[in-house]
Amino acid sequence: MLKPSSRPHWATKSLSADTKTPPEGEIEMGNSKHLGLWLLAPAGVFVFLFFLAPVILTGVFGFTNMSTATGITGGAYMISDTSMRPLRSRYGENELADRLTQKVYTIDDAGLKAALEAGGDAAAIAELGDKFLDQSFDRRRGVETAIKSLSARPSTTRGIKIISAQFERSVVNVRFDSKEDLLVAISDFGIALNEGQTEALGQVAYTGWTFTTQNFKTMIELPDTSKTLINTLFYVFTTLILFNTGFALVLSITTHYMPAGPAGFFRSIWLLPRVTPPVLYVLMWKWLAWDTGFLSVVLEPMGFAPRNWMLDSPANAWTFIILINGIVGASMGMLIFSSAIKAIPQSLFHASEVDGANRGQQVWHIILPQLRWPILFITIYQTLSLLTSFEYILLATDGGPGGATEVWALSTYLKALSNYGGALQYGYGAALSLVLVIIGISVSLIYLKLFDFKNLTAPPKIE
Amino acid sequence: MKHLILRSAAMAIALTVMTSGAVFAGQGKTYQISVWAIAGPSDIYRIGAIEIAADLLEREYAVRGEPIHINIEGKPYTQQDEFRQGVTLAAEAGTAPNIVVASHIDIAPWAQSGLIVPVEDYVDLDAWPLNDIYPNLLEITSFQDQVWAIPQDAESRPFFFWKPHMKAIGYSDDDLAGLAEKVRSGDYTLTNMLEDAKKMQDAGLVEANKGFWPRPTKGPDYWMFYMAFGGEMEDGNGRLLLDKTAMAAFYQFFVDAVELGVIGKNHIGTPWDQWHGALTTGKVGMWQGGTWQFAEWTGKYGMDFFANAAFSLVPGGGGNGRANTLTQPLVYLMTKQDDEDAMGIAGELITIASEPRINALHAINSAHLGISKAEETVGLYAGDRWTREATPVLLPFASAQPNNVNFGQYFEVMFGGLQAAWTGQKTVDEAIADVETELKAALGDKIVIR
Repeated sequence: MLKPSSRPHWATKSLSADTKTPPEGEIEMGNSKHLGLWLLAPAGVFVFLFFLAPVILTGVFGFTNMSTATGITGGAYMISDTSMRPLRSRYGENELADRLTQKVYTIDDAGLKAALEAGGDAAAIAELGDKFLDQSFDRRRGVETAIKSLSARPSTTRGIKIISAQFERSVVNVRFDSKEDLLVAISDFGIALNEGQTEALGQVAYTGWTFTTQNFKTMIELPDTSKTLINTLFYVFTTLILFNTGFALVLSITTHYMPAGPAGFFRSIWLLPRVTPPVLYVLMWKWLAWDTGFLSVVLEPMGFAPRNWMLDSPANAWTFIILINGIVGASMGMLIFSSAIKAIPQSLFHASEVDGANRGQQVWHIILPQLRWPILFITIYQTLSLLTSFEYILLATDGGPGGATEVWALSTYLKALSNYGGALQYGYGAALSLVLVIIGISVSLIYLKLFDFKNLTAPPKIE
Repeated sequence: MKHLILRSAAMAIALTVMTSGAVFAGQGKTYQISVWAIAGPSDIYRIGAIEIAADLLEREYAVRGEPIHINIEGKPYTQQDEFRQGVTLAAEAGTAPNIVVASHIDIAPWAQSGLIVPVEDYVDLDAWPLNDIYPNLLEITSFQDQVWAIPQDAESRPFFFWKPHMKAIGYSDDDLAGLAEKVRSGDYTLTNMLEDAKKMQDAGLVEANKGFWPRPTKGPDYWMFYMAFGGEMEDGNGRLLLDKTAMAAFYQFFVDAVELGVIGKNHIGTPWDQWHGALTTGKVGMWQGGTWQFAEWTGKYGMDFFANAAFSLVPGGGGNGRANTLTQPLVYLMTKQDDEDAMGIAGELITIASEPRINALHAINSAHLGISKAEETVGLYAGDRWTREATPVLLPFASAQPNNVNFGQYFEVMFGGLQAAWTGQKTVDEAIADVETELKAALGDKIVIR
């Protein structure tokens, strides 16, 4: 940045010299002091619901193994093939697992009574008791076959099911709300557990999520994590430097020196990609790039075989992604910078012209120093938005070819919300986004340091 | 005055008629049954079959003298991600639909989380029509020794050959007629296929990179190539299985195909309409697709299928490998609800919707395969050449993805590795090493690595 001593005299005039800060305490809000807070209260509710709560939940979820299989609201205790597998492999409890997974359906008095209470057909239940009391079956379908053999069999499937549901005496595939319920059922089933087995069962039988730091360990172990991180940093900073700040500055400065009419026209053109629906905008890029598209048609006579130019190589894919994002992103910086340039007093330009400054000197000594604030703002804002934006990448390359353009935010989305086999990893996805938040905050702090934020916000010396 | 009396009388009569109507309509309990389905435009009978079943069931109850009313609220989804998010979040909020029509691979995670209940607790599998469903399909809907769902349809992912090009490189009509059997017996392998694809390109019948086109997006179809080289997705004990040799051979096959020039390195990502357009007009020599795509090819793309295409299982890769095909049936699932009565009704609706005549409506309308033996004898089904010819060639040899809580993660890692090798981002060895590391990190002892 420019040192004050090297500035020409017309550039050292501070804008803030013209502004006056009212003496402290002069503005008295009086009784309306809290009015603003009250007015903002409804907004506060929304801010909490839609901004704060998701961030807090993401933070919490990041330390869990939550997934489609564990559910979000909580789990149950269940003896099943899935839960018995770790009991065998981790704890070596093969015999216990075999006994627990035994299925037994017994026609007993308790079951008959329960069937009556559940609204089962009384005649059928009585006949079932007469003919099958104390008989056991290894499947519920066995009980149902017995019920269907009765002369008083219920006429509907539901009637049969109401009765057959009451005779299960085993614990396999039953969901218990608490560990205690499970242990009671196991004990009723006639299996005595020692302390170690009780402990092990509590671990393996729970179907819900638990708190863990495994997500972060996995993240470090996975070979693609570092690649995704490098991809992200490359994507963010290349787009930011080339387009969102760099090209935006070029646009705003060049249009500043144009007559108002054409300047407005050019700015409007650059706004078009921003007002085009993203899906259509990316579709047009795809039409341009695919193997029967414009590029292939134009380049074929020059000896380039038709191909999908966007996905042909990682370099191509990156070029397209940065162009797609950059062309949209530049317009925002352009608007902010243009209005900031407009706010520079014309007297500075006039004075510089009298002193014989050329356009380059004007840009270097007047415009850029006055744009430090907007540049800082755009840099931080766009960094954060690029870090979290993946919609154009998802639509254009979906992280391809071969994961070459997979950035952190896209990876988060894919892990947490898009899995072809239906196994959505909410916990791991949340952990990934937590890392993204940390990266965002760190980068912002670095910017504040780089741009010397304290000096930017220091009270004017003249006052 | 007379006028007034007449008007009052008319009003009274009208009121009586209206109230009696209301009383009539109010007889019996009313059930609101919601059905959410993953369904494209030709899959209207995924929900429609339940509507037909509701009509029949209302009549059955009326005949039995216990009238009920059933209102079906259907909601079709076309996007898998949106559908899964919708169903899981609705379930967490306690507003899950009564019946869900989803892929069978959703069974394991949804069963584990308690979102769904075993359908066998609400239907009679030993009575018609459910006792007639193909046993291998019921096997696919079972998880942890319980039947969780009733198959809604079946399909298969065959291999296709463009007949005129095959003839141009020397195949006779008889050769083509016997090709499916040669593939099945292992006499025609993926290596032969690559050679033939290359011949077609060299003869100028198809352009470079268009000798062989598999599915252009992520999909379970790619497991068939893993199985073609001897891979298995699960060991015998319900644990996921990574066979590194088979996985490497499968990745290598696609790398070789790229090197040979019969397929593009960026084939994944080809837009669907470009894919359909090319293979229905003879611009592609051989391809791998789905039985249900027959409807689209012969309808939207106007393809004369039987004149131009021969089909078979996906050829084996030689050695340990085997010719195979994969079926990913959609299934009727029941969610956990507070109202046991409504769950009973849902079970009865699913049972009726699985009757051959009703299921055949979906099978033929969407070019899917049937679910039961009796369905083969339903006129509509038997009269359809595609289902009649495809069913015996494919369905008996179809395997399915395992119902395993962690299978979805394995799937993504497998496909990530394939893409990295195929597009040249990693060598096959690097890709396999990364797949192994990733599976170990993500799944630990839940996967066996050989």
